[in-house]
Amino acid sequence: MQILTIVLQIAILLAIVLLHVAYATYFERKIIGHMQVRLGPMMVGYHGLLQPIADGIKSFFKEDIVPEQADRPLFLFAPVICLVTMLTSLAVIPFAKGWVLADINIGLLFIFAMSSLASYGVILAGWASNSKYTFLGGLRSMAQVISYELPLGLSLVGVMMLSGSLNLTTIVDSQGSSFSSMYLFPQLIGFFVFFVAMLAETNRVPFDLPEAETELVSGYITEYSGMRYALFFMAEYIGMMVMSSIGTICFLGGWNGPFEVPFFPPFWFILKVYGFLFLFIWIRATLPRYRYDQLMALGWKLLLPLALLNIFLTGLFKILVH
Amino acid sequence: MVNQLLFLYCAGVITAMGLLAVNFKNPVYSVLSVMVLFFHVAGLYLLLNAEFLAAIQIIVYAGAILVLYLFVLFLVSLRKEVKIERFIASHKISTLVSLALGGCLLAVIPSFKLGAKGQYPVARVEQLTHTKAMGLELYSNYILPFEIAGLILLIAVIGGLVLARNEKEVKE
Amino acid sequence: MKVQYKPKRNLLETIFQVEILQGMALTLRKLFSPAITRQYPQEKPPMYPGFRGQHALVRDSLTNESKCVACMRCATVCPSRCIKISYHEDESHKRFVDSYTIEALRCVFCGFCVEVCPVGAITMTEVFEYATYNRDTTYFDKDLLLENWDRFMAGSGHDKTYVNPFWRPRGIPESSLPAQRRMNVPDDWTVEKQFVGKKATSSQQCLTATTAGGSH
Repeated sequence: MQILTIVLQIAILLAIVLLHVAYATYFERKIIGHMQVRLGPMMVGYHGLLQPIADGIKSFFKEDIVPEQADRPLFLFAPVICLVTMLTSLAVIPFAKGWVLADINIGLLFIFAMSSLASYGVILAGWASNSKYTFLGGLRSMAQVISYELPLGLSLVGVMMLSGSLNLTTIVDSQGSSFSSMYLFPQLIGFFVFFVAMLAETNRVPFDLPEAETELVSGYITEYSGMRYALFFMAEYIGMMVMSSIGTICFLGGWNGPFEVPFFPPFWFILKVYGFLFLFIWIRATLPRYRYDQLMALGWKLLLPLALLNIFLTGLFKILVH
Repeated sequence: MVNQLLFLYCAGVITAMGLLAVNFKNPVYSVLSVMVLFFHVAGLYLLLNAEFLAAIQIIVYAGAILVLYLFVLFLVSLRKEVKIERFIASHKISTLVSLALGGCLLAVIPSFKLGAKGQYPVARVEQLTHTKAMGLELYSNYILPFEIAGLILLIAVIGGLVLARNEKEVKE
Repeated sequence: MKVQYKPKRNLLETIFQVEILQGMALTLRKLFSPAITRQYPQEKPPMYPGFRGQHALVRDSLTNESKCVACMRCATVCPSRCIKISYHEDESHKRFVDSYTIEALRCVFCGFCVEVCPVGAITMTEVFEYATYNRDTTYFDKDLLLENWDRFMAGSGHDKTYVNPFWRPRGIPESSLPAQRRMNVPDDWTVEKQFVGKKATSSQQCLTATTAGGSH
């Protein structure tokens, strides 16, 4: 009986997240279009609202090409790794008090583990495609992801020190419910490092060199077509949502808000996640791309020392005040 | 009962993946079977109530160290296993020696005795959460080995930087 | 030449990434400003006079035939040689056009043929939506060209004696234009309005100004 409720919850969560992913692509195109003083998709449905469905149907029916010299099992397996790891990390995110699928004591570490595994999908896709530029894209993406995992983790150590636990629900509870007690304010440096590392982990502009459309012909996903391509994109958007959720939980106070919404406790959580997604899209419309060596220099020479400084200052603060 | 079954499953997969890892011709497949092996080692840690270690196992081993193995493989661009000449020409001698070594290994297993129990019974670890228990123990009783391990890693990092540095540095 | 460099960022600006924030403020401002896209099938672009669209042979309002006298000027001046005319002469050396074809796919839509025609027989209408799926329909012969004119006239609401006033070569005095191209003389006609085209009128005024003003 309990298994049945868990399965039902998983199904509802999956359906909601996949719908969000589809409409995240739609809103990204619309918002970037309006920021560039043009309209986005307008033709399919009223103001283009059915565009994601049309895209989904198109991906379904496209021919599935596997290159002849490609490593077939790895080629077929790579998008699955990306998607599965990203979907698994949804299981530990609390959307409201008690609204979490698996309330484990190492929630934050679990999300790290899953995001470091997602990069496997990238590098295997690059390798298995057996093509020069794809492979380069995969290598670059992998190097970028493992370089930025460190500042990501270290920026959250400050939050762990302030809240005293890795359990995501405990982190939100220890932030209290007022505006000024969010961990954003004591951890401003940590938030900045987290935000930049988050952009790099999810391969978004300004760090999207691996999938740069103008340079590597869409990088490690060049040889993929149809549904597998759609799987990679789903994995990227789910990664964006998971990272936004972690940012909301750790720095912005999770599901707490000014007033209680009666029937829908995750209201403020979802609003904050939407705010993060808007930030992602806004930055994509504004900034140019970092060159590869600038990217690596930024990760190792700027963000890592900043994150360590943040840990040091937080530790100092905790010792002196308590 | 469920614990026993899970343990059997994890142990079985670990042994099978270990055997597969040395038998695959494609080195990338070997690395991937080692990754599955690490996953099941993390599963073993979870069965022992050590969730922090399980997550760290995945993050560090499967997520970082194996990636570096993959990088080396890719940069050497090895598609098939390299075939070299055998050291010992005859098959029978090598089989005999390896079976003998295996027999010695199996013979030593019954003499394995568990060590003395620490001061953290399972109930206390569950109350404190494994992360905190491990942190308390590591940073109070085992601080010296911790620092030495950190120093060794630092030397490795510096060595790597020195080896990978561009030799044609400008002289002025 | 004075080169203006941007002042170097100071430390505070680097820490707070002021330039990035200024860029982001710009995109946010543009997010709320109206988009300038024209939704094509519903909103058509505005046609300005002189738009070079589909070719058409003008139907003479008196004889209901085309005005072409087979002088061969349009065929000669066409840079891509897409106009092919064949004619025969009778005893009084009057020419009759046998076939007049325009290969619209070769045409570069320069409008020279319209400018050079002495009788205003060929013109370019404002129709631009005539793409098809087979090539045969873009190879216009005389009847099709006349039909183009009929279709255009039917949709535009002009009367039968309409002459597009845009297609008049500039800088040529009105008296040397053929009768079909000269505009009707309005009641307030003056000599200064003799010449055609804005540039010619301004240069004409310049000339009169400098000669009147004497030496500088």
